[in-house]
Amino acid sequence: MVHGKEDNRVNWIEQLCLSTWESVYRLIYFKVQNREEAENITQETYVRAIPYLQKNRVSPDKQMAFLKTVALNIIRDRWRQHQRRGTTADLEAISPKEAALEDPAEWSVQRMAIEKALNELNEEQRTVIELRIMKGYSVAETAQIMKKKETTIRVMQHRALQSLTRILHDRTK
Amino acid sequence: MHDNEHRLSDYIDQLNAEKKPKDHGYPTADPELQELFHTVRLVRILREPAMPEQDFPAKLIRTVTDQLVPTKPKKKKRAWMASIAGIAAMLTLLLLIHFASLFDHPNIVKAMEKAFQDVNAYHGFLEIVETNAQGKTTTQAKLEIWADKHGRYYIQELEGSNKGVITVNNGQTKWQIRPSEKQVHRFPAFPDPYRFAFELGNEIKGIKQAISTNIIGEEKAANRPSWIVEVTPQGGEPYRIWIDKETHLPLQKQYAMQHGIQYKITYTKIEWNLAIPEKLLAYHVPKGFQEINQNTEQIVTSIDEAKEAVGFLPEVVEQIPSGYVQDRIAIVPDKKLIKIYYRALDKEIVIIQGKATGEWKLAPTAMVGKIHHQTAEIQSPVVEESGVLGAGGPYAGLTNLHSIRWRQNGFEYAVVGHASLEDLIAFTKELTNGAFEMPTHKDPFPFKPQVEVPVDLEREKNDQKNVDAGSSPWKLDPVFVAQVFVSLQMSPGGITGDYPIRYEDLRIIQNNGKEAIVEVNAHNTPIKRVYLKRLIRQDATGIWTVVGYDPAP
Repeated sequence: MVHGKEDNRVNWIEQLCLSTWESVYRLIYFKVQNREEAENITQETYVRAIPYLQKNRVSPDKQMAFLKTVALNIIRDRWRQHQRRGTTADLEAISPKEAALEDPAEWSVQRMAIEKALNELNEEQRTVIELRIMKGYSVAETAQIMKKKETTIRVMQHRALQSLTRILHDRTK
Repeated sequence: MHDNEHRLSDYIDQLNAEKKPKDHGYPTADPELQELFHTVRLVRILREPAMPEQDFPAKLIRTVTDQLVPTKPKKKKRAWMASIAGIAAMLTLLLLIHFASLFDHPNIVKAMEKAFQDVNAYHGFLEIVETNAQGKTTTQAKLEIWADKHGRYYIQELEGSNKGVITVNNGQTKWQIRPSEKQVHRFPAFPDPYRFAFELGNEIKGIKQAISTNIIGEEKAANRPSWIVEVTPQGGEPYRIWIDKETHLPLQKQYAMQHGIQYKITYTKIEWNLAIPEKLLAYHVPKGFQEINQNTEQIVTSIDEAKEAVGFLPEVVEQIPSGYVQDRIAIVPDKKLIKIYYRALDKEIVIIQGKATGEWKLAPTAMVGKIHHQTAEIQSPVVEESGVLGAGGPYAGLTNLHSIRWRQNGFEYAVVGHASLEDLIAFTKELTNGAFEMPTHKDPFPFKPQVEVPVDLEREKNDQKNVDAGSSPWKLDPVFVAQVFVSLQMSPGGITGDYPIRYEDLRIIQNNGKEAIVEVNAHNTPIKRVYLKRLIRQDATGIWTVVGYDPAP
C-alpha cells in the first residue's frame, strides 16, 4: 500500500470537493449570476476554507454551512475590494456552528416575489425584461422581435428595471 | 442617463454570456445603477443556473490540491552528454527527468495526466489475455502499436485470429490492409468507431472522469514496479489499472469478470517517441491488393470547388472558435453534402450541410434547443442519425460523439464532434449568428405535472445498475419509458402483444438532458403528457424515471 499522509489529505480533499461542490457553486451562482465568476469563487472558497476545516476538524454536517459562509464572504470581499472600507473574510471568526445557511425556502419566496413584481409591469416592459434577461437575447435580437430600434430597447429596459426596482423596494418597506 | 443605459445593457450582455461583469470588480459610484444591477441579478434567478462543464469537479480538485498539498523537493539529476542516440536519447532523458519529478507526487491521476502531457507519441507491444471462470488463460492477440497525441495510429496484429492485419488512421483517412483477402479497405478518418484498446490518452481521460480511483496495492506489470488502482467509472463495473511507478503511465488494465470471462490487456514493452514514422502513416495499396473504398467522401480544395460539385454555397463560420483550425473540406457527391472539418489538439468537429429534404424529425432521446423559434436537435451522445446526420457518416452509437442539428432557410445543418458540447455550441452560434439556444427549464412548458407519480429511489438506483451492466437499455430512452408507463396505465394487468400506444404516437416536446416532457398523440390515451427526470445520473448514461403526468382532457 502506498497511502501516505499526503495521499490521505488529497483523498480527503477529493471527497469533500466531490460531495459538496454543486451546492456551493449553486449558492455562488445565485449571487453572482455568471458562470465565470461562480467557477472562480468556488475554487477560491475551497482553497481558503480547507486549511481551516482540516485544522479544526469540523464535523461533516457542519462543513457545508462553513463552505457556504466562506463563499458569501468572498463574494462580499470581492465586490468591496475597490471601495475604501473594504473588509476581508476572517475565517477564524466564523463559527461553523453558527454559520448561517441560505435557506432554499427563502429562495422560493424571493422567486415568487420577483414573478409577482414582474406581473405589475406593463406588457412592453415585461416583454423586454423577459427577452433580454430571462431568455438572454441580445439588444439587436430583442429589437427585431419587438419591432423597435435598438436605442429604444435600451431605454425601455432601463425604465423597466427602474420600475421593477421600485416595486420590489415598496414591497420590502 | 444615456451612459447608464449603455452600462446597464452591457451588464446584462456580460451576464448573458456567463462572464464576470466589469462592475463586479470595480463597483460603480452610481448607487442607482448598482441597484439596477442587483435587480438584473434578481430577475436572473428565475432561470436555472448555468452549470460548469463536466470536468469542473476534476479541475476544482486539481486547483485546490495544487495550492494546498505541498510536493516534496525534486531530486537533482546528473546532466547527460549527447550520445549516438542523439535527439531520441535526449528526449528519453527529458521524459525520465520529468517522470522522476512526478514520482513523489501523491495524486496518481494528476501525475498520469502530467506525464502524458510530455508524450508526443509512443510505440509498444500489447498483449490481450482472456481468463475464464475456471481460471484458464488464453492469449487472444498480440499487437504492435504506434500512436500519437493527435489520434493517429498504426496497429499491426502479430498474433491472434487477425494476424497480419494492419490498421492505420493518419487523420485524413483510415485504412485496413487484410493480407488473407489481398484487400485494402478505406474508411473515413473521422469519426473512428473502431479504435484500438488501451489507447493511453483515452484511458487517462476515462480515469479522470471516474467516480473514484483508489490505490489498492503494488505489483509488477510487464516486469516494472507498478501501483494497482481500482477505478469506478461513471457507468459500468469497476476495473483495475496498473500504473508504472517510474513513468506514471498505465501499463496494464484488467476488466471485471463478465459472463464468466475476464480480460487483461498489458503493454509488455513501451517506449516514447517524437512521432510515428511517416512511412507507416502513408497510404498505399500493396502490389496485387484490391482497394475497397468504403468512404464516399471526396476532399476538395476550396469552398468554390465544393459549390461546383453540390450546387450551393455553404455557410462558413466567420470566426473559428478559439483553439481550432480548419482542417479540410469534403463533399459527399451522391448525397449533395458539404463537410467542413475543424481540428484542435485532440478534438475534431465537422459541420455537415445540405438541402433540407423530407420531414423534420427529432431523435427521440435528443434534447430540444431552439434556433429562430425552430427546434434544434441536440444529441449527446449521438444515438440516432436523421437528415444530414444519417447521410454524413457512421455517427450513431459512438461514445463521446455529440451533435447539434437544425434547419434554416431550406438547408439542414449538423455540427458533429468529438469535443465538448460547449465547443459544438460555439460553432453552432457562429453559424446561426448567435440565434442558437440551449434548452432551459423555462421553455416552452413549465415542468409542473398535474398528477405526481411517487418514485422509489432505491429501485431506481438498482435499475440504473442494471442498465450500467447492459440490461434494459430502453430506460435510457425517455420516449420508450413514457410508452411503457402510458401502456401500463391502460393495461394495468400487464402488456401482452403490442403496446396499446405506438412509439410513433409519442413525441418529445421538451428535453434539457435532466428533465423531459413527452406528449402522447393518440385518441385512446388517458394521458396527454408524461414528465420524466434523470434522477440517478444526469448524463447520457442516466436512466429516465416518470415523475408525473397530465391526464388527457
